[in-house]
Amino acid sequence: MSDGALRGAVAALAAAGVAVTSYLLWARWTSTELLCSTGGCETVQSSSYAELLGVPVAAVGLVGYVLLGLTALRMEPLVRAAGAALALSALAFGAYLLVVQLAVLDAVCQWCVASDAITTLLAAATLLRLRGAATATV
Amino acid sequence: MPPARRYEPRKSRLPLLLVAFGGAAFVAALLIGASLIGGGGGEPVAPPAATVDTTPHEESILGGIAQDGIALGSADAPVTLVEYADLQCPYCAEWARDAFPAIVDEYVRDGRVRIEFRGLSFIGPESEIALRAALAAGEQDRLWDVVHGLFVRQGAENGGWVTEDLLRSLGRGAGIDAERMLADSDSPSVDSALAEAAAQARAVGVPGTPFFEAGPTGGTLTPLQVSSLDADPFRAALDELLAQ
Repeated sequence: MSDGALRGAVAALAAAGVAVTSYLLWARWTSTELLCSTGGCETVQSSSYAELLGVPVAAVGLVGYVLLGLTALRMEPLVRAAGAALALSALAFGAYLLVVQLAVLDAVCQWCVASDAITTLLAAATLLRLRGAATATV
Repeated sequence: MPPARRYEPRKSRLPLLLVAFGGAAFVAALLIGASLIGGGGGEPVAPPAATVDTTPHEESILGGIAQDGIALGSADAPVTLVEYADLQCPYCAEWARDAFPAIVDEYVRDGRVRIEFRGLSFIGPESEIALRAALAAGEQDRLWDVVHGLFVRQGAENGGWVTEDLLRSLGRGAGIDAERMLADSDSPSVDSALAEAAAQARAVGVPGTPFFEAGPTGGTLTPLQVSSLDADPFRAALDELLAQ
């Protein structure tokens, strides 16, 4: 897959992540009930795990997705590595939160699962970009 | 030479992989560490919904304290604390369990503070069913018994825990006409009480629940900025108001 296609994929996935996290933030700030087919969204979103030192996790995710989207604009190897680092850290943190949902809260938020799916694809795309960067430096 | 070209890419890839995986490990550790430091106490209340405890648990907390509609405590109390809450909100239940009994015992029972409950129902249909019953109990001046009883028995959101049996049991436990309470749940006065609380929440800009305001009774209330949902930050805020 060409780097152009991978950059497009990263940008599109980051935009999807921005949409999901923005929706969660909007619902939080307007006290709007989340659309939720899994039935556990409010439990998850009103738990203490929905905040990081007072900052909504959705806001942290929003910043992360914006930064990931910005990495799609650049081709430098270091930027690609930073993108991969961001995506992999998001994947690891998402996995931790999924374990919390299943093992601690006994409730699953579909929007968190959607974000997990996006970060999984982002991790794959950014690693592929990184492989291309390494090859390109030869 | 071919062998050199084969090995070179592996050499140049290593620093980038180190940046990617090392950076990821570092950021992930920071995020998970922050979550573990700040979190851990917010899991929802275990759902005991299947068992309706008819022990008058609320009696020991609320017994002997005046109730009037949505208000708990003396109308002459110098300070009013307002709580905005959804009866299915886990944090609200946490406050009800961890702070409410102490605040009632230390500030409401002796007539220094009165608490008003402004119920919201944004979590789902069971929030509204529960809230309507509580407001109907308020028409018999026992809203707080039902509210506290629901919080300490809170189950999974919209998981079927707000049953008629539970509401009836709480009404009976509060010593009111439980059948009348259930019948009044759909009354126009309950409709208007629901709408009034929602309008007040919009006017105040309630960002989520629980949300608290406090101030001199009959005067201007201001939002309480509290660092946690245990009793200490509320004691500090109420002491400050009472000292004014």
